[in-house]
Amino acid sequence: MQTFVVVTPGLDLQASFLDLLDDFGVSQGLAHLLWLPLPMLTVLVSAVVGVLVNVWLERKISAAVQQRIGPEYAGALGILQPLADGLKLLFKEDIIPAKADGLLFTLGPVLVLVPVILSWLVVPFGQNLLISNVGVGVFLWIALSSIQPIGLLMSGYSSNNKYSLLGGLRAAAQSISYEIPLALSVLAIVMMSNSLSTVDIVNQQSGAGIFSWNIWRQPVGFVIFWICVLAECERLPFDLPEAEEELVAGYQTEYAGMKFALFYLGSYINLVLSALLVSVLYLGGWGFPIPVEWLAGLLGQSVDAPLVQVITGSLGIVMTVLKAYLLVFFAILLRWTVPRVRIDQLLDLGWKFLLPVALVNLLVTAALKLAFPGAFGG
Amino acid sequence: MFGFLKKVGDYTQDAVSAAKYITQGLGVTFDHLRRRPITVQYPYEKLIPSERYRGRIHYEFDKCIACEVCVRVCPINLPVVDWVMNKSTKKKELRNYSIDFGVCIFCGNCVEYCPTNCLSMTEEYELAAFDRHSLNYDNVALGRLPTSVTSDPAVVPLRELVYLPKGVMDPHDLPATTPRVGRLPEQVLETLPRPATAAPDPAAADPGATPQP
Repeated sequence: MQTFVVVTPGLDLQASFLDLLDDFGVSQGLAHLLWLPLPMLTVLVSAVVGVLVNVWLERKISAAVQQRIGPEYAGALGILQPLADGLKLLFKEDIIPAKADGLLFTLGPVLVLVPVILSWLVVPFGQNLLISNVGVGVFLWIALSSIQPIGLLMSGYSSNNKYSLLGGLRAAAQSISYEIPLALSVLAIVMMSNSLSTVDIVNQQSGAGIFSWNIWRQPVGFVIFWICVLAECERLPFDLPEAEEELVAGYQTEYAGMKFALFYLGSYINLVLSALLVSVLYLGGWGFPIPVEWLAGLLGQSVDAPLVQVITGSLGIVMTVLKAYLLVFFAILLRWTVPRVRIDQLLDLGWKFLLPVALVNLLVTAALKLAFPGAFGG
Repeated sequence: MFGFLKKVGDYTQDAVSAAKYITQGLGVTFDHLRRRPITVQYPYEKLIPSERYRGRIHYEFDKCIACEVCVRVCPINLPVVDWVMNKSTKKKELRNYSIDFGVCIFCGNCVEYCPTNCLSMTEEYELAAFDRHSLNYDNVALGRLPTSVTSDPAVVPLRELVYLPKGVMDPHDLPATTPRVGRLPEQVLETLPRPATAAPDPAAADPGATPQP
């Protein structure tokens, strides 16, 4: 498989913004300072909007699967329902149980949410459409996501409630045991693209459109990664930490109001983020199934023309989001298909199945890379 | 060595079969996505209870002879029959009758056995109350007739699945005159052979009976 990499700068909003301010006579440093908050705010807002869309999709798709209607009175097709839910949580009384540890109880949800939001730093929507092209990219995400179980443990412990404690312990055990196969399957990708940076990983998949996506070269890794991501997000086959029938609501049992909303927001942002990362690592990120360079060449346009840049840039954003939401749809469908696993089955699956398979996958990838450096990133 | 290989083989087989079953399950859930919702928007739409529905019990005070059969056949002796013996007429005089619907299991035994048919089942099922004692209906409350779903102007009555025409799944916007699937008891009755004698045929007298060959 030919994987020559055509790196076009594409839509670079930062450079354009700095040029624009430079034309107005603003100094370079000030222009940079003015630029800094813009992508952060954009990503934060789009993450929250993504969560609202996600909640709405979850409720509507769940309803459709069960032959119900779902929310329909709040806005057209109930599209404002998540907003109404969020508003309700915002205005609810903030309760800290009498014998709970107030500091840890407050710190828990924050520690769960912050790393998830911070991980959006490395999610690329285009060659230059990300907050920061950190060299350690995916590793940063893995490192940040292992902060989460600390927050879960904190909130579980500080609630002074047996269900919360059990839920927190389960969440921590689950996150830790699924982190390893997750990291190993990411490592196989990293080995093929010779870089931890998410942008490089996408570029490595951009040679021949849909055929150069990593899913064809890493089918096993894709499945492992997807299972681990579902476990990290505590999605339904693996939602033991908040298993309603056993643990009331797990570590969230004692939470209400805004602190509960933080957990809720965190879990859904995490789901969107995970879906985005699956699409970045395995489904070619912002890449269109047919390379846009070919399409532009077919139409006789230069890739660097301003209009083409805007079109390819927005196409990239649409493609990334589309792939991510297809995966979210799949996760929701999976939620109503697969029953919840037991805690021992969960740990068995993680340690006895996914871990060895991920290791073998890594070794096979390494061998294939040595044998076919062209196809597997020499 | 072979033990290890066998283990790996078993693992692979397990994984493949698990994937097969999950795919099958996903197919089922995905197929449900395109099906129409069967929701009845409850306070605005209500299903018409079937003709044998066992709802709240209706009671006619004037028909009652205070025989207390209803009490005896009740699994928990629930009906309270308050009567006194009138010495001059040597007859039972009924004063009060009550059934507590917070306790009743709607088995219908009392209705079945009442010798004067003063008890009957209604189609009323909305018995929510703020106080459980208000579910203890006396003879006045038991004598009230419920509002029929079909006559309530605030409610869209919907037919249950078995009362829909053949092949129709959605009860919405269906003309009230469309016949239900199968034959009505009257229609079954017409197909039965007429009894030659005046003596009533037990099968023909029973409207629910199946046609005799």
